[in-house]
Amino acid sequence: MITNKQGATGPAVAFRDVVKVYHPDIKALDHVSFDIQPGETVALLGPNGAGKSTAIDTMLGLRTPTSGEVRILGGTAAAAVAAGQIGGMLQTSGLPEGARVAELIGLFRQLYRDRRSTGELLMLAGIDDLADRRVEQLSAGQTQRVRFALALAGHPELLFLDEPTAALDVAARRHFWQSVETIARQGTTVLFATHYLEEADANATRIIVVNYGRVIADGTPARIKAFTATRTLRFAMPAPDPSELLKLPGVTDVLVNGDAVTARTGDADETLPALYALGRKVRAMEVGGGGLEEALIALTSADNGSNTERVS
Amino acid sequence: MTAFLRFEIIRSLRNVRFVVFIAGFPVLLYLIYAKQTGISQGLTVAAILMVSMAVWSGMGSAMFATGPQLAKERQSGWMRQLRVSPISAPRWFAAKLAQGLLLIIPGFVLLILLGFGYGHVHLAADRVAVLAAVLVGGVIPFCVLGLVIGLVFDGQTAQVAQMLTMLVLAFLGGIFIPYSNLPPAMQDIGKALPSYHLVQLGWNAVAGRALGVQHMLALAAWAVVLGLIAVWRWRQESTTA
Repeated sequence: MITNKQGATGPAVAFRDVVKVYHPDIKALDHVSFDIQPGETVALLGPNGAGKSTAIDTMLGLRTPTSGEVRILGGTAAAAVAAGQIGGMLQTSGLPEGARVAELIGLFRQLYRDRRSTGELLMLAGIDDLADRRVEQLSAGQTQRVRFALALAGHPELLFLDEPTAALDVAARRHFWQSVETIARQGTTVLFATHYLEEADANATRIIVVNYGRVIADGTPARIKAFTATRTLRFAMPAPDPSELLKLPGVTDVLVNGDAVTARTGDADETLPALYALGRKVRAMEVGGGGLEEALIALTSADNGSNTERVS
Repeated sequence: MTAFLRFEIIRSLRNVRFVVFIAGFPVLLYLIYAKQTGISQGLTVAAILMVSMAVWSGMGSAMFATGPQLAKERQSGWMRQLRVSPISAPRWFAAKLAQGLLLIIPGFVLLILLGFGYGHVHLAADRVAVLAAVLVGGVIPFCVLGLVIGLVFDGQTAQVAQMLTMLVLAFLGGIFIPYSNLPPAMQDIGKALPSYHLVQLGWNAVAGRALGVQHMLALAAWAVVLGLIAVWRWRQESTTA
């Protein structure tokens, strides 16, 4: 356990059974729980509308959970913000018109007691050449890099980045993640939201997958990636026997509903020949394939059926 | 807070529309109308207009920081960025208020210089000081009015809302046209407006008359009522988060 500045030990973020309801029918966060330990670099992975931004806004104290408990560095989010312990790069945030980049960075440095040098900030964000530029002359990507510098101004112990590379080109993206790695090595705990699995895989030590406001997977990138190799087979056969199907090579889950079968497999190339070799009348075969969307469907499909028999 | 204040003032003064509004417009009107001859209640037209235009400029400056600028910051998400920085909401509001008050200086100085140089207004230093004090205190309700506009409207409409509000306040408050020229019904409405009370205080200051406690009380009442509306809007917005 790493001791943080307050001398307390414990998780950098404790998110316990958090529910956030915007509208009676819409649960942006539906009983979400996870802990983030000091020093981790965690990706919050999920499609748009999964609840990533709501989770980050809640950790930053911008939103109040409907129920559940959120502890940031051992205290409330508001206390951590007031103490200048956390840095946040929000998904959308314009910069104030009329200011120059250097003035903006100068202002943010002065808001924090513990601060990075201007030179270091310009270098980390890759904006040395923009210091004298007025903010209204910046492109979307440049604005995003300036916002990164602002989030780092106070040497945060805990850094939140909400889809930080959305407007960046390939070169800027590479520089960005190098800087995040540098900061992480200095001991900063990082939590970033993304909907790219590759980005999460390449830059995080742990991935939390969210969808429909729920955590549907939480583990190392290797473990999460294994899910994406998963294929979903949908087919029909007379009187399917779940226990027989589960014995097929690669199959991890089987759902049976009358004649209809949904089976998940980690290796479709092995499963399919073995299935046909059973000598049963397999019809209407559909193979759902890779990609994050598919992976998420694979991860969430277990939640869908209420009147189907599930065996695993 | 001083770093924040300096930052805000520098970028405001780079806003061309704002500078035209608080300096260009009143200066132009002054140049056009100040040479008219006439005396009313012991003041020359040049002196009356100097006060009117200083009040107009002060109202605009006071409302800008908390009004259109704030609305734009709310809309762009800049305010959210500030909310995750250590600057607290009260300090931030205090800075905005201070910004509104400090930004009335350029317009005020310009109009005093113009009044003295171009309008041949002769005014003792102590009366200038009283006028300055009246303006600084008297624009506070307008800072708060700006806040209400900034919290109710979005980035684009706030600009228009401020402009319209100011025109109504200026016409009905007797800043643009002599008060007695207004129809009686409008005079009644005008007498309730903060702009009326502020400009009356200004003219009294320049004429060396008693300032009038009723005007100060009216301005204070406006500040309190508008302040309550602003707090209500602010709470409403933060509790829906």
